[in-house]
Amino acid sequence: MPKHIASGLKYLAALELVRDGYSQKQISKMLNVNKSTLSHYLNGRNISLGSIEIAEIVREFSPRDFLVFTDAIIEDKEATKTIVKTCLVNKYSVEVKDSCIGCGICVDTCLIDAIVLDDLKAHIDSDICCGCQICAEKCPTNSINILEE
Amino acid sequence: MAANIKEVKAKDFNVERSAEEDRELSFKDESCVGCGVCESICPVGAIKLGSVGAIVRNDIDESKIEIDEEKCVLCGMCSVGCPVDALEFTVDGTPISEIETYPKLISSAEIDDDTCIYCKACERACPREAITVARQLPDRSKLVTGEIDIDKETCIDCGICEEMCPADAITIDQKGPEDFDIAVDKDKCVYCLVCKKACPVDAIMAACRTCSYGEYDLDPKDAEVTGKALIDDDACVRCGWCEEVCPVDAAKVEKPFEGELNLDLDKCTTCGACVDVCPCDVLFFPKSSAPGTIDDKLMKDEQFCIYCGACENVCPVEAIDVKRTGIKCTPTKSKSWQKSIDSLKTN
Repeated sequence: MPKHIASGLKYLAALELVRDGYSQKQISKMLNVNKSTLSHYLNGRNISLGSIEIAEIVREFSPRDFLVFTDAIIEDKEATKTIVKTCLVNKYSVEVKDSCIGCGICVDTCLIDAIVLDDLKAHIDSDICCGCQICAEKCPTNSINILEE
Repeated sequence: MAANIKEVKAKDFNVERSAEEDRELSFKDESCVGCGVCESICPVGAIKLGSVGAIVRNDIDESKIEIDEEKCVLCGMCSVGCPVDALEFTVDGTPISEIETYPKLISSAEIDDDTCIYCKACERACPREAITVARQLPDRSKLVTGEIDIDKETCIDCGICEEMCPADAITIDQKGPEDFDIAVDKDKCVYCLVCKKACPVDAIMAACRTCSYGEYDLDPKDAEVTGKALIDDDACVRCGWCEEVCPVDAAKVEKPFEGELNLDLDKCTTCGACVDVCPCDVLFFPKSSAPGTIDDKLMKDEQFCIYCGACENVCPVEAIDVKRTGIKCTPTKSKSWQKSIDSLKTN
């Protein structure tokens, strides 16, 4: 069953990526799906309508639940990152305050590698950030603010 | 997220977190002076200073600091603040002292081998036993010149020369009641002529060439002492005793903190906790100058103070005030780190 939902999520992401103009070759790499399976997806075959329906419900989850859920069933970090980026369209403004001590807890916590440390301070890439707030909650100095734009 | 792993080995500990980076904090109790700088700089309150007075006085067998690995976020600030390098912090195996983005206290202690005369004054003065002077002395035989010979026919085997020789250069090998060998070790003999003067039968012919002709055939280079003065960085606390006692200014010490040490002698109860805990032998009880006189209760050699604050922490009656007015540290771009380092200054 998790595999079916995973396929559903990949299907939803693939549709978005086609719309964004990526080739099937690129998409198969980005989602870690072989090309023929992808082609079936895009032609609406070999995927049950139920899986798509559940995937669409999952897409309505909060960003945090969506990310944690996707991360758990996809088992591939790059594919998870692609799905999160394509399915969650909200933009977030991120601020790391000067009270950041550069401990790197946020870097370790972020499931989609949106954070790096530079000069003992965390830097969050707002293009990647999905607004899950996990880093903000774990930050020992409450230095992270993530707001929906 | 990866949880912290704590490993305790006797009084030392390691806390480690391995995820995107491997971060590791290691504590060496032997280097720790119990100053509490780590406790005050820790941004998450994970470090607790132990009962340093009781520990230093061997009343209890415990580590000088305790860390709560659940609270520690492995930021490394304690390591940067520690004035005696008792806390080492590494990121991916590299000590942060070698990573440019991390600030670093500026302190050093060096002994210049070219200037050093290997007198060991620093080794004796160092309160942390951090200095070892390894020296090679010149050959005694190259510093004197002369001649010595014992006429075995005249010698009566009395043993007086052997007993009197201040350099233990004469040996008599008694083989039988009347059978013996007598020999002079010319590597040891300094041609002092004591044997010659003491011999009851004038069997010893000896002359000191230096006395008669001067030192023309001695090379002053043969009298040079060579060696190496080594400072154990783990034990050194940059107190400056070596610099003060060095007769040739070969030792140079730079301290990380500047400040003031103030004693309130009205409050002092002469319990001696501060004297025992001070890593720099700054504090001492004066000897009474004459019978019946009362001197100061407690005295200080402030020039050796590193303003670590260990004495203030152990004083039970708040008779000691350590002010830190300056922190010598390499710059950091991080405002929070700068603020933490500045917070070590007392107002």
